[in-house]
Amino acid sequence: MKAAPKNKIDSIIRACRLIMRMSQGSPDVRKSQTLYYTMLIKYFSRLLHAHENGDFVAAHTVFFPAELIYAMDLVPMHTETTTWMTALFTGECSDILAAGSSLGLASEICTPHRGLAGAFATGALPRPDVMLWSNMVCDNTAKSGELIMELCHCPGFFIDRPFKDSKYEVDYLVGELRDMVQFLEAQSGKKMNWDRLSEIVARMDKQIELIRQINELRKNVPTPFAPLGFLELLTIDYLFPGQPEAIEYLETLHSELSESVKKGEEAVTDERFRLMSFFIPPMYLMAFLEKISREYHAVSVIEPFFTYWGEGRLDPTQPLESVAKKSYMIPEMRMYGPMDERALNSIVDCAQQYKIDGAVFYADVGCRHSCATIKLFKDTLNKIDIPMLTLDCDVVDPTITSEEEVREKLECFFELLEER
Amino acid sequence: MTKVVVMEGDKIASAVIIASGEEAEATARQAIEQALASAEINSSDELYVVSTGIGGKSVSFGKQQKSITTCLARGISSLFPSTRMLIDMGAESSTIIKLNERGRLADWLGHDKCAAGTGMFLQQMAKLMQMPLEEMARLSLQARAAAEITSTCAVFAESEVISHVHRDPPTPREEIVAGIYSSLVGRIMALAKRVGIEKDVAVSGGVALNSGLINTLEKELGFCVLVPEKPQIVAALGAARIAGENIEKA
Repeated sequence: MKAAPKNKIDSIIRACRLIMRMSQGSPDVRKSQTLYYTMLIKYFSRLLHAHENGDFVAAHTVFFPAELIYAMDLVPMHTETTTWMTALFTGECSDILAAGSSLGLASEICTPHRGLAGAFATGALPRPDVMLWSNMVCDNTAKSGELIMELCHCPGFFIDRPFKDSKYEVDYLVGELRDMVQFLEAQSGKKMNWDRLSEIVARMDKQIELIRQINELRKNVPTPFAPLGFLELLTIDYLFPGQPEAIEYLETLHSELSESVKKGEEAVTDERFRLMSFFIPPMYLMAFLEKISREYHAVSVIEPFFTYWGEGRLDPTQPLESVAKKSYMIPEMRMYGPMDERALNSIVDCAQQYKIDGAVFYADVGCRHSCATIKLFKDTLNKIDIPMLTLDCDVVDPTITSEEEVREKLECFFELLEER
Repeated sequence: MTKVVVMEGDKIASAVIIASGEEAEATARQAIEQALASAEINSSDELYVVSTGIGGKSVSFGKQQKSITTCLARGISSLFPSTRMLIDMGAESSTIIKLNERGRLADWLGHDKCAAGTGMFLQQMAKLMQMPLEEMARLSLQARAAAEITSTCAVFAESEVISHVHRDPPTPREEIVAGIYSSLVGRIMALAKRVGIEKDVAVSGGVALNSGLINTLEKELGFCVLVPEKPQIVAALGAARIAGENIEKA
């Protein structure tokens, strides 16, 4: 195996600092954007220096309730997001993907998880004190945690989250969360601060409401939010659930977008194509996708399974129950497991409310779960005469598809939309 | 290959196909010159050029560049207005195109990651069978059965064909050829089903000249397909149609 790759956390921090420095001179930079990068720098810096500060690092997989980690004043490490951010900010993931392959992980395994394993195996990510994971969002996640435990020689806890949300299943999940808290208390030596958890849940409830309000603003024609701005909303949710800085960011963003709507400001000049997006665009092509969006006056105005939260409110007086309930409201979780009519109807509702011209499905070749929904979503949109482009790609692996291939397909799609 | 279609009004004045050179622009100019000469049009001043395909962006003298799928849809609907699905089988890629009632592109699905389902696959097989493509086509029509060639990958299919040739007794050549066509058609059918097969179905691209393949495709579909007289020029025809529309709009 080659020499250990550069510390990925350090690379992410440096990239964020550079972006902030470069954007400081620009009159167009949003205050919320500055807050966003400040938050990322703080999050990853805390992680980078956690052990030297005597902090306890709890690595966790996506959708694992990090509210509980924050409530115990532990340092969270969101594993998948760290891999995505490596691709996004450094454009370079081949080293950790290769390391993952050399562990014996097949190339068909989802790249965020393959890269993750490679990153931990080579020391490109700090070793956590515990590994926390669940079956959200897929079987890869469920197996990934076990492997990370083995690679990092740390204890771990798996939460079994049922697919359905009946009272019985939710109660079961609450029991799982309670057991996890006991595990974390035993491992970290810290007690759960239930008052703090209630505060976090209250803020999480507000966070969801703010995202809903932002989504309402995005309905405006022209839409005020950047073509791929929804990725900021995702990151806020993944890394800062119920945190004060998340509220500050969302309130600031909401204010900015409200102002834009009042002034009739558009995210792209002469907005031409309003798009619905499914799944995650290739992170290593984000700058290119932003550029081609502006070139063709196209903008993603809604993402039914990323930013469109399920119904319901969280009750801070019942924090664990609310954390459990939240897992069924998370937009992405509505996409996995058996899909019900409500989820499919939300696609149609969104298409109509947001005046969609077309949809783009970023079909990550390593994600069986999301790709299994392609036909379902396409047929659903077909019924209301909305075309959908399926773009074969990968979230972090640039060998799957090139910028040129993506450009060709997007151009074909925009021509199709133009001729309708 | 570089193809050019010159139209005068609504009529095809000439169509030229030449081997592509290293420089797309130079080849395009050469092809246009030949096409103009064939159409007995002297001046190139009044030409409105729309380019498409690989290298389409390299044509600096083009007034517009359109995607190949848009041009294919336009081209085939001008030839066969009842077309609702076009199967384009080129040398290096296959594309299934769905058209709406107006003859416009409604959906498409391409296969450009490997040689399975393309002309290259057939050429490779012809080499392996040591016979020209025309003879393969003729031979396949004589087959009473098709040899099983399970792999759609061109490389692995080659191994299977070799096994059939060297079997004792060897698999009849016409059955091997029929098996090769079945393998290719299988790949195409999988793509077509994903898009949703809808009549009328047309076929374009150089591979459409292969009568044996068309026969196999029709058997699999259960109905006849529409094949233009010059299936290789459908995209170029579409581009020419778009050029004509743009002139009318101006």
